[in-house]
This record gives sequence, structure tokens and C-alpha cells, in this order.
Amino acid sequence: MPNLRVLLSDEPGKRVLLLGNEAIARGILEAGIGVVTTYPGTPASEIGDSVSAIAEEAGLYMEYSTNEMVAVEVAAGAVNCGVRALTAMKHVGLNVAADAVMTLAYIGVRGGYVIVTADDPQCYSSQNEQDNRFYALLSNLPCLEPSTPQEAKDMTVSAVELSEELGLPVLLRTTTRVNHTRGPVVYGNLTKPKLKGEFVREPNRLVMVPANARPMHVKLLEKAEKAEEISEKSPYNTVVYKGNGELGIICSGSAYNYAAEATSLLGLDVGILKLGMTHPLPERMIGEFLKTYKKIVVVEELEPYLEMNVKAIAKDYAPTAEIYGKMRRSYFPRKGELSTRAVVTGLAEITGKKPPIDFGEIDSKYAEAVKDLPSRPPILCPGCPHRASFYVIRKVTGGKAVYPTDIGCYALGFAPPLSIGDILICMGSSVSTAQGINKATGVDTVAVIGDSTFFHAAIPGLINAVYNNHKVTLAVLDNLTTAMTGHQPHPGTGTTGMHTTATRVLIEKVAEGCGVKYVRVVNPFNIDEASRVLKEAVQYPGPSVVVFRAPCTLMLMSEKRRKGIKTVPCRVTDRCTNCMACIKLLGCPAITIKDGKVSIDETLCTACGLCASICPYKAIECGGS
Amino acid sequence: MDEFNIVLAGVGGQGILLASEILGTAAVKEGLNVRVSEIHGMAQRGGAVVSNVRIGDKVLAPTVLEGKADVLLGFEPLETLRNLKFASEKTLVLMNDETVPPTELMRTMKKYPGLNEITEKIHRFTRKLIVVKAADLALKAGNILTRNVALIGALAATGNLPVKVESLEEALRELVPAKYLEVNLKAFKLGFEAVGENKSSRF
Repeated sequence: MPNLRVLLSDEPGKRVLLLGNEAIARGILEAGIGVVTTYPGTPASEIGDSVSAIAEEAGLYMEYSTNEMVAVEVAAGAVNCGVRALTAMKHVGLNVAADAVMTLAYIGVRGGYVIVTADDPQCYSSQNEQDNRFYALLSNLPCLEPSTPQEAKDMTVSAVELSEELGLPVLLRTTTRVNHTRGPVVYGNLTKPKLKGEFVREPNRLVMVPANARPMHVKLLEKAEKAEEISEKSPYNTVVYKGNGELGIICSGSAYNYAAEATSLLGLDVGILKLGMTHPLPERMIGEFLKTYKKIVVVEELEPYLEMNVKAIAKDYAPTAEIYGKMRRSYFPRKGELSTRAVVTGLAEITGKKPPIDFGEIDSKYAEAVKDLPSRPPILCPGCPHRASFYVIRKVTGGKAVYPTDIGCYALGFAPPLSIGDILICMGSSVSTAQGINKATGVDTVAVIGDSTFFHAAIPGLINAVYNNHKVTLAVLDNLTTAMTGHQPHPGTGTTGMHTTATRVLIEKVAEGCGVKYVRVVNPFNIDEASRVLKEAVQYPGPSVVVFRAPCTLMLMSEKRRKGIKTVPCRVTDRCTNCMACIKLLGCPAITIKDGKVSIDETLCTACGLCASICPYKAIECGGS
Repeated sequence: MDEFNIVLAGVGGQGILLASEILGTAAVKEGLNVRVSEIHGMAQRGGAVVSNVRIGDKVLAPTVLEGKADVLLGFEPLETLRNLKFASEKTLVLMNDETVPPTELMRTMKKYPGLNEITEKIHRFTRKLIVVKAADLALKAGNILTRNVALIGALAATGNLPVKVESLEEALRELVPAKYLEVNLKAFKLGFEAVGENKSSRF
């Protein structure tokens, strides 16, 4: 992986290949941001991680906050002391933070404040694919939408300037294909971060009781009007191509890339209005563009956010304009991520041009070639302690309980053969949905949640179980890290984003503090003990918590490699009867079938020993040399 | 050059992201425009992984269009098949023969398709197929994890890339931690020689 010190280079004009998220981290350094807060979540994680890697050297403060709302509130405090800040989160993180964001819009900011919302069209690593441009509309906050890593960096700097000019937080809305695309980025000047500010008492502006909120709402609307004037002149809103006047395309963010390539593939001489500031929209600019072309096509990913607005603008500027998009008749998909193919197909339909590629032919040839191809969904890693926890949960409850699950690697437990995971909504939902299911059915419920997610969102749900006496068991699969998003620290790990040591907040103590009477900690690889404890927990008449604690195997293995400790893989001995229990019960990728016999892949095995301990014939040996 | 498209396909953990970054970094070193598109997070946990590298003046979109790959670099045979929609008769398929059976196959006791069946399916799209034993080369270099770099070396030897071998090596030096550099350079060389000298690996 790249040496992130390249982000610190004080050579304006230097051209470097950066991931969109690394480009945002560089933008943070160029904008003189002093405080960065985040909760990790794909596709935003590398913003915080890149900053964490260089924060000390760059002289700024960063933290992994407990959740997105806390992250926004910490930053809201700092920016209202005149320090510049940025908070990065995935799209659904903004749902968590929304309570703070909606009212912070009224209060405003003194130091520039950027909120990065990284949307995930196609749900590559998310539970939904909501379009967060609507949060800009809802909150009246300005929104910038980059289409490349270069723009991601530039817009981070511009967002800070815009934020200070308006006294408002600014949303920087990215999508997976911007966050996780590498492209050349040309550096600008670094700005020394300002870490210290001053808190000035201004209760009328800062204390949002009704009497203060009402006038601040008026102020917000005035700022929004000013923002619209800025949008009319923004260099990010431009007519990139003029075309021959027949067809004009309006697009933003990643959609611009697909639109530009699609029109060139189809040989269309079109006008393209590329919008980088998508809230407030430049009404006059769009109005004039609508008047210039015979047909208007709105190309955008996910929801018809631009199209709705463009059609409203058309009512005043060009009432007879022909506008094509995805409302009523759908020329482009409203779900999943956009692609050059989707745009080519839509434009071909609108213009009557024949696409230069016969996609239908490729599709049928491809379908024939991949018929019966086994799928390869993501799975728990070999040696993952969650596999042991799931095995125990299944063994103790015989598959008869209901198993609400949560957001993290362990969500993968829903797949066979482990099959633990019956309902999953959002961060923290496991413990609360379990209560409703138990109330409605009387069936035992074992909710599954990870350590980082526990701190993020499970505590109010757990208190609810105690307060309303719901008979649920919460299994906290504590692997001592935020594994899915790249091993970030959290309150239970004892380290911070600044790489300093911290007070370890212990999950079992939190549970006891919440009033849970049955709280135990077990090692999931100790199958007998873990099973005995879980059985007791499920039988307990009130809410119970079992912490299954064992480090993430990826973390453990990399530590072993660093220390030069060799892993001796498990071996299948001749006592093996080929009963397949290991394969059928565990689904470990390191256990394979070779020449009709169970065999262990030495390159994948981490010697966790789970297969050895569950083998009915004791035919697998682990440990030793 | 307008555009040169590479699709890299394999299984999470095979080093596809680093391989893509090596290609992208080499392109930037030569002053070329490039987009490298990756998928992180849940998709990486032992699942199918695809990365796109697009080099050229006209490149804007992060992803390769169906039928428009110049190179399909397959890290695993089944994953190579899964990405054939990006191939046409002009595409060079360079494939590692190392199989990673999906756990679904284990559980259902189905067989992993034979190499003949796989090459036949690839031939329906293109005759330009080179099979490389990247795992063997990586082990010979000293570390199985260098299979990705062995494949990049092999690809460089085909003479099909718009970047120089020196730029790839330079990118490697920049991206690989010092203590693993030697083994990686060795894997690169072994991959290069396997395609450059051993014509029998061609189908």
C-alpha cells in the first residue's frame, strides 16, 4: 500500500496518483483544517485513515468518534470556536448525524466546516443506496459533487472557503466511484492548520431554543439565497461543450464521466452542462441552457434529483422544453450505479442512434459462458473468530431461535452453513429488533452485534431491553477492532486515531452499567465453555449479554508476520472418515476437497483450531511443528 | 493514445489492488492520464474482486465498457470467466492457473471446472490467451503473496502495455515496503521470463 507521507509533500504542482479519499485528505492539508472527525464506513473510510496516518506530522487533530452524530457534534464545537474542520462518513452515517446537521445549519459555523457524505450506488458495501443530495435540499446546506480525485481535492479546499463565506457547513457528496478511483492529482499549496480558537458566548445564535431557532431559520434562508448567487458564478458549474444546439445534457458528479464518454462513442455533438455545485442549483444558468437546446437530457446516478429541479426551472424559463431523464419514462436506471453502457443505451433510445457496440450479443454470449458458474460472495476469513461464535450460537439454540444481526463482517454469518442472521436494518438494530420479535412471538432471540457497532448504536437499545424487561440475549462478537472497514480503533481498543493510548471502555462494564444482570465474557474458540455460558444466557429470565472476545484473525496474522512468528497450518490425519462435518458446519475457505478427500489449504489456514475442536473423529491436528 | 483498458479479476486477498496501483503509478510516471477503479470493504472478504485500469487521453469513466478490455488479467480461472463480458476478439487474456474453489463448491460437493473447459470458454471470446503459473513463480521468488507482481511481470513481457517495463519496476519500488522489495522484484522478473521465454505457456 502507498506511503501516505506523499500527502505531506510541500511541492505545489506535483502530480501524484491518489485514491479519491486520499485526495480529500490532501485537500484537508491544503485547506488548513485543524480538526478531522469520522466514523469509518465504506466508501469513506480511507479519508479518516489517511489523515490518521499523517495527522501528527501534519500538525492537526483527528479522531475516530463513537458515531457520526458525535463526530458532527465534536466538529460543530470546534468550528464554532473558529477552527476549520471536516467530518467524513458514509451515506447512511448522515442519517445518524442528521439530527445534529439539520440544526447546525441554523446555528452555522465560524471556521470552515465540510461534511463528506460518501454515497454507495450499487450497495457495494452498504445496506441501501440512498441519494444524499436530498439532504442538501432538506437542510438548505450547499453541496459540492466531485467527479474525479482531482476535483475531490480541489472541492475540499473550495468547500472550506465557501463554508466561511456563508457561515454554513458545506456538504461534499461523493460516490464510491469517486472515493475508490485513483487518478492523477496535481497538488496546490499547503496551509498550516490552525488548532486553537476562541469560544465567544452568543446564546442567540448558538442556543437553539424555539425563540432563537425561529430567527436563525430566517438567517439560514438568507444564506441559502446568497449561496444560490455563488452557484451561478461557481467555476464548478460550467458548460463544458457547446455542441450544435440539438441536444443538451445536464449532469453532475460521476455521471459526467459516463455522459462524456457515451456521447463520444455515439458520435453525438452535444452541449454538456456539468454541475459541481448541486445545491443550491444555478437557476439562471440552467434556465439559459434549457433555452439553447431542442432536447434536454438529464444524466444522473440514483434519484432524479437534478431532473426534478430542472423541470421546476423549465416551468419558468422554457416551459415547452423536451426533457428526458428517469421520471415518468425511464431512459436511465434509478437504481444501481450508472455506467457508460447505461448512458449509451439511454441516449441511443432518445436520439435514435445505433450504439457502436452490440450489447445484446455480448450479453447472450456471456450468459452462455457463465452458465452454472458458482457464485463467490464475500465470506468470513479463514480463522475468523466469528465463525466459532456462530457455530456456538447455532449449536446451543439448534437453529430454533431468531437471530437479528447487525452491520459489520459478522453480517456475513447469515449465509449457509452458519446461517445466523435473520434481520438486519442499520447500525444497532439487532438488539432492538430482537425485543420486538420476542414480544411478538415469545421465541428466544439471540441478537448479534460487533464491538465497534455496539459502541456506535447499541447502548440505547440495550437500556431499553433492561428498562422494559425484554428477554433477549445480545451476543457481542468483540474482535477488538473495526474490522470490515480496515481495522480502525474504537473505544474498546485502548488506542486513538492519533495513535495515543486511551482508556479502554469495556463492553461488559457498559452492559452492567446499563443494568443487565447476566453479563459474561467468553473465548469463542473455547467451544465447551462458550456453549455452557450461552445456554445459561438464553435461559436467563431477563436481558443477557455474552461478549465473545477474540482478536480479528487478519490483525492477529499481520502481528505474527511482523514478529516473525511462523504459522503451522492444521493437518488432516488418516483418522479422517470424510464425513464432511468440518465443511458442512463451518464453511471455512481453508478447508477444501482434494482428490475427493478433505484437505487443508496450507496457504490459507491460520491454525485457529476450530475445525480440530469440532471434528467428531478428532482427525484434524493443530498446533505443534 | 485514446484509451487502453485493463480489467483485473480475482479473489479478495490475491493482491489485485496493489497490482492495479502498480499499473496506475507507472502510467502517472510517464505523464499519462489514468483511472484505477477499485471496490473496497465487504466485497474484499474472500469474495470476487474486480479492478479496472484505464490509461489514455480520452479516459474519464472509472470503469471499462463491455467488450472494450484490451487486457483481461485473470488472477483466478473462474473469476476470469466471470469477467469475459469485457472481452472481445481483440482482448488479450492473461490468466493465472491457480484455482481458488468457492466454498459453495465444497458444500455442494461440485467439481471445479477443468482447465480445458475454461480455456474453451475463453476462446469463444478471444484466441489471445496466455496461461501463467503465477503461484509457482511466486513461491519460487520466495513468497506466495507475490503472485500479483509475477502476473504484472508476465503482462509486461507480452509487450501489450502502454507503459515501459522500467516504469513498472519504478512503481514497484515505490509501492512495496523495503523488506519485501527484493522478493517482489524477483517475482516480477520470473513472471517476465515465463512469458518472454517459455513459449509453451501459450495456448
